[in-house]
Amino acid sequence: MQNMLRNSYIKYGLIILLSLGLILFTQFIKHLKNPDSMAVTGMTLAGLIVLWVFSMIGILISEKLKSSPVTFIREFPVLGWVSITSLVMCLISDFFVQAIQAVDFLSITTPILTFAGISVANRLVDLKNTSWKVAIVAVFVFSGTYIGSTLMAQIGLMLAGR
Amino acid sequence: MKKNFIYLILFALAVITAAEMIGFQSVMVGSFSIGLLPLVFAIIITMVLGLNLFRKGFWKKVYSKENVDFAGKYLIFIMLPLMARYGADVAPKFGEILQIGWVFIAQEVGNLGTVLLGLPVALLLGLRREAIGATLGIGREGELAYISEKYTLDSDEGRGVLSLYIIGTLFGTIFFSIFAPLLLHFGFSIEALAMASGMGSGSMMSASSASLVAQVPEMESTILAYASASQLLTSFLGTFTMVFLAAPLQQLMYRLFVRGDKHAKHAA
Repeated sequence: MQNMLRNSYIKYGLIILLSLGLILFTQFIKHLKNPDSMAVTGMTLAGLIVLWVFSMIGILISEKLKSSPVTFIREFPVLGWVSITSLVMCLISDFFVQAIQAVDFLSITTPILTFAGISVANRLVDLKNTSWKVAIVAVFVFSGTYIGSTLMAQIGLMLAGR
Repeated sequence: MKKNFIYLILFALAVITAAEMIGFQSVMVGSFSIGLLPLVFAIIITMVLGLNLFRKGFWKKVYSKENVDFAGKYLIFIMLPLMARYGADVAPKFGEILQIGWVFIAQEVGNLGTVLLGLPVALLLGLRREAIGATLGIGREGELAYISEKYTLDSDEGRGVLSLYIIGTLFGTIFFSIFAPLLLHFGFSIEALAMASGMGSGSMMSASSASLVAQVPEMESTILAYASASQLLTSFLGTFTMVFLAAPLQQLMYRLFVRGDKHAKHAA
């Protein structure tokens, strides 16, 4: 087991499996709580497998390109490679779209934010070192990018006649 | 690994169950109703229980150093299925997105809002070089890398970007879960808000787009498609926008404002 975990691909594969397991669990619980939400079906399981495969392909591309001479490609985030892989595959076959969409979107987000919350546990003490001024600035920085992009998009969509 | 790691998994299952059982809750912000999703409760529960105050006995095992490190180090891999899901959201609308592709590119420029809105406020509050780090962008890994390369992290600029990074990590998702649906009440179109959600942080994008879906469920496919297409574009163009637009604009505005400041003092 320890030896196996030294192989990073096996480790990544297991972590993604954990993530998918939690997603499946979330979708199941969500359906218990609200019977109108998406039920777990055979297609959901197929979707989870597809998500695992696409994630692994993305990791593989990202790892292989780490030795690329082009900085931009070398530093392109693995998250981006996974999205691109999935997009290309979904454009090729509609089956992938059907399978993935049988996985409830909101059920994917809850486990991620659970881990995000745990991961910042040791950062809470760092807050002491940040000034209240930056906290106020942060509100305007976050609002700024969101309002800025929304305004540009809104104007663009109007010009495009939508 | 082993024992404490099992506790981590069990704890995650318990948090998910609690968050899903609380479910979707509407709260009033001023006179607007905002829907809070289970994901917001999940992050609040895990953050509150992670406070040092609670870390005794059993909780100390759940929030052991290895477990917290695991969550931090592999969060990106836990997020990969979400990124893979976005392909299926974008693909059916790919033609439509290409048709208005220039709108997607134009809204990238909107990310300059961090400088336009944030910098004046930072300077008014009396921040100086820290403001450079704190307003260049939303303070994710890209800005962190750029600032540390240019000024090092142990400079005023570095402290600014680090502070923003910490605040964003802790409160970014909660902020956008409330802010995105709030803007919907101000008459912005759901398509525009969806595009704006792709701002370069995976978790912030999920939070804002999911909150938009909760408000307008019948538009789910469009919202997710636009948000993820824009997110993908930001991962391509984000660095360029930062280096070639945000940074020069910031320097220009900084010089303008800080010089004006000195003049004002002279006049007084």
